Amino acid sequence: MHVADVVIKAMAMEIGDNDIFLHGLASPLPALAMHLAKLTHAPNMVYINVADALDPEPNSYKLCLSSADPRHAVNSKGIIELLETFDLAAKGKLTGMFLGGAQIDSKGNINLTCIGDYYLPKVKLPGGAAAAYLTPLVKKLIIWTTNHSKRVFVEKLDFVTGLGYEEGKQKDVTIITNMAVFKTVQEGFVLKSVHPDVTVEEVVDNMSFSPVVKEVTTTPVPSEEELKLIEKLDPDGVRFSEFKR
Amino acid sequence: MQNKLVDVEKAVELINDGDTVTLSGVSMVRAPMGFVREIIKAGKKDLYLIDREPGMDFDILIAAKAVKKVRVAMLGFELFGLALNFRKAVENKEIEWLEDTCGAITNALRAGASGMPFVVVKGVLGTDLVSIHEKEGTWKVIEDPFTGEKILAVKAINPDVAIIHVQKADKYGNASIEGSRFEDVYKAKGAKKVIITAEEIVDTEYFMKYPEKNTIPYFYVDAVVHMPKGAYPTACPNYYNPDYDEIRRYLAMCREGRVDEYIKEWIER
Repeated sequence: MHVADVVIKAMAMEIGDNDIFLHGLASPLPALAMHLAKLTHAPNMVYINVADALDPEPNSYKLCLSSADPRHAVNSKGIIELLETFDLAAKGKLTGMFLGGAQIDSKGNINLTCIGDYYLPKVKLPGGAAAAYLTPLVKKLIIWTTNHSKRVFVEKLDFVTGLGYEEGKQKDVTIITNMAVFKTVQEGFVLKSVHPDVTVEEVVDNMSFSPVVKEVTTTPVPSEEELKLIEKLDPDGVRFSEFKR
Repeated sequence: MQNKLVDVEKAVELINDGDTVTLSGVSMVRAPMGFVREIIKAGKKDLYLIDREPGMDFDILIAAKAVKKVRVAMLGFELFGLALNFRKAVENKEIEWLEDTCGAITNALRAGASGMPFVVVKGVLGTDLVSIHEKEGTWKVIEDPFTGEKILAVKAINPDVAIIHVQKADKYGNASIEGSRFEDVYKAKGAKKVIITAEEIVDTEYFMKYPEKNTIPYFYVDAVVHMPKGAYPTACPNYYNPDYDEIRRYLAMCREGRVDEYIKEWIER
């Protein structure tokens, strides 16, 4: 089993039946996770994507290279302008969003803006997209990286593009990597589970700060049935492309 | 209603060097690529490009040295990687840049369309973008006059020119965006000048038969250009999908330092 499928399953498990979820650009794993959740434990979840589509039909869906590809809107139930989804967020009605992180700190804050100084960047990254706006507004924030490393898990961000854990706020922050699943809570950056064939040591050794390690389980993997669903939604294997770089 | 159907060379004259310009679409969907080519051909300079999440349209204009400044929430090629010309120009300080966030920039465009001077936006506070924009004069943290709570005021965006690629338009400028509209209707309604490029020029009877399909009415529009495949190699829903191979070929040539060659070939095609 490819780790992409483990990550998809882990993402899907964060989605509840009464949730409204959005995914943005460059998001093949979240797109599949939302389908998987909706096809299994969360049939009533409201699925909105960056192609402005509401509830794209899984039977005619095929994952494409751009997350905004018009084929991701074919046979959807309606067109929801992104601004409308942002209005939902402002009203506290958008449950969740997925975001990447070029750098992630121990609070689950993320940097997607630049490496180095903003005005003199060493690397200009693509940018934070909806991170600054949505991270303080959603109830469930899922951050993912396919590059679990000291370069990503840093002590101090070069730029704070999005906010992770915020004290006193009802906000569940999950970080899912190619090795493990974490939650950021008041006591810190808690390691919840490691993926099959990954050790706790490997996870910790590849971070620049120490996560809280207490009760660690093994990340559940998708069942045969679930793998079939994922494969049918993504026959071209677009979900693996993030892992090749 | 006035006939606004013009040749592309005439429409490009509506853009002045130094203008703020916004373009339709998102990432690899409905970017007005055909018109971008004409901007490059016409040798426009010092443009200030503004959009939520553009892609090749912005990157190739930067490569062609038509750009002074860029304001975006994200500019890249998704799974294909970074926008190389954008990255290089920023890192070499050849252009200025202002990073925005989707919820703020889209609301600013909608405020521009609404005729409001600014809009208040939730979220964002606590991120490093706030001080960048306060310096820029585009955002300001204010107090909600009713509750006293801190909230972000975002100045409206009214671009000098909006260039919107649509599926169907008539010669008067009634325009129909099919499928995802993104913020394109607000861009058009908030801009000082609007150029529509269209896959098809339809008779006004089309809009008389389906008035609900008129997403940008004629009185907002200054010029209409008939431009089949005008979004290529990005997608135009109901007409064609993105040509991923062509976009990858562009990126490969950028990586090899051959972007000038790509542009030359593209312009002469």
